[in-house]
Amino acid sequence: MNSFEYALLILGMALVTYIPRMLPSIIIDKMRFGAKTEKFLRLIPYTAISALVFPGVFFVDGANPYIGIAGAITAGALAWLRLPVIACVLAAVAVNFLQYTFL
Amino acid sequence: MQGSNFKAEFISGMRAGIPVVLGFVPIGIAFAIMARQAGFTVAQTCGFSIFVFAGASQMMAVGMYEQGASIIAIILTTFILNFRHLIMSTCVFERIKQSTLKQKLLASFGVTDESFALFTTEKEERCTIAYLMGMNLALYTAWNAGTFIGAIASDFLPVIITASLGVALYALFIGLLVPNITKNFRLGLLVVLTAICNTVLSQFMPASWALIVSTLVCAFIGIFTVDLEGNKEECADE
Repeated sequence: MNSFEYALLILGMALVTYIPRMLPSIIIDKMRFGAKTEKFLRLIPYTAISALVFPGVFFVDGANPYIGIAGAITAGALAWLRLPVIACVLAAVAVNFLQYTFL
Repeated sequence: MQGSNFKAEFISGMRAGIPVVLGFVPIGIAFAIMARQAGFTVAQTCGFSIFVFAGASQMMAVGMYEQGASIIAIILTTFILNFRHLIMSTCVFERIKQSTLKQKLLASFGVTDESFALFTTEKEERCTIAYLMGMNLALYTAWNAGTFIGAIASDFLPVIITASLGVALYALFIGLLVPNITKNFRLGLLVVLTAICNTVLSQFMPASWALIVSTLVCAFIGIFTVDLEGNKEECADE
């Protein structure tokens, strides 16, 4: 790809990525939300994070769904026990490492 | 805003971003290897991560380019893929009470799936613009470091390490989500409903649309079925 084409591509991608990120930050102060809308906005993190995990986690390893499932169960169990997020991440990675090594 | 406060919040934001580093560095490396193989130079490869800062779109762009897609098609797909950030950014900035325009313009550049998840599950009183900016810096640095390493060194990590790290970001999301739903049964049900909804919808439409639809529809259902009182201060632990 020549420099001109590359510059166009990056400029375009940067703009269409930045604008949806930036717009809410500057207009949100000017908006008044009702109680229902506010509740809706507070629920979105839970539903969005759930959608970010499922079904993607089953395909962490395209050939072996048990990799993702074992990692998810490990992270979920430690989070249930109120361990810090970093511990959940490290433990899930460690379990997958053991799976790859021994199974 | 006091300078010392800003600095302390900024640093705790950076700390909160650490779990993401483990996920971002290997994906950054994977992206850079893909980009180099597709024929992009080292500088061009790094340029994607510096100016766009969106993992999934960058991978998609490189893949499409390799298959001969036009620049317009790549940009349009990037837009569709990143449209979800409009919703995520709304939730992030709804939590920030005090900030200047310049801070917002800078901080909004760093809204990603991961910073959104970290920030919106954090205790409300910690959600300041400084905290967000610190978190963004940690994530941006990790993503660009990964890209740079992959662009110059390519495949030096053993396959087994890279494969094991693939679960890191999913574990992060689960680690953020679970503490919030263990004490609220109906919220837990809503999360399960969303997971099923997104899994089913993904069979019928592109994943980026399925995510937006299931997120919004299920949050809407939650307005009438879930009680959030009590969850206010009950957020992810340190």
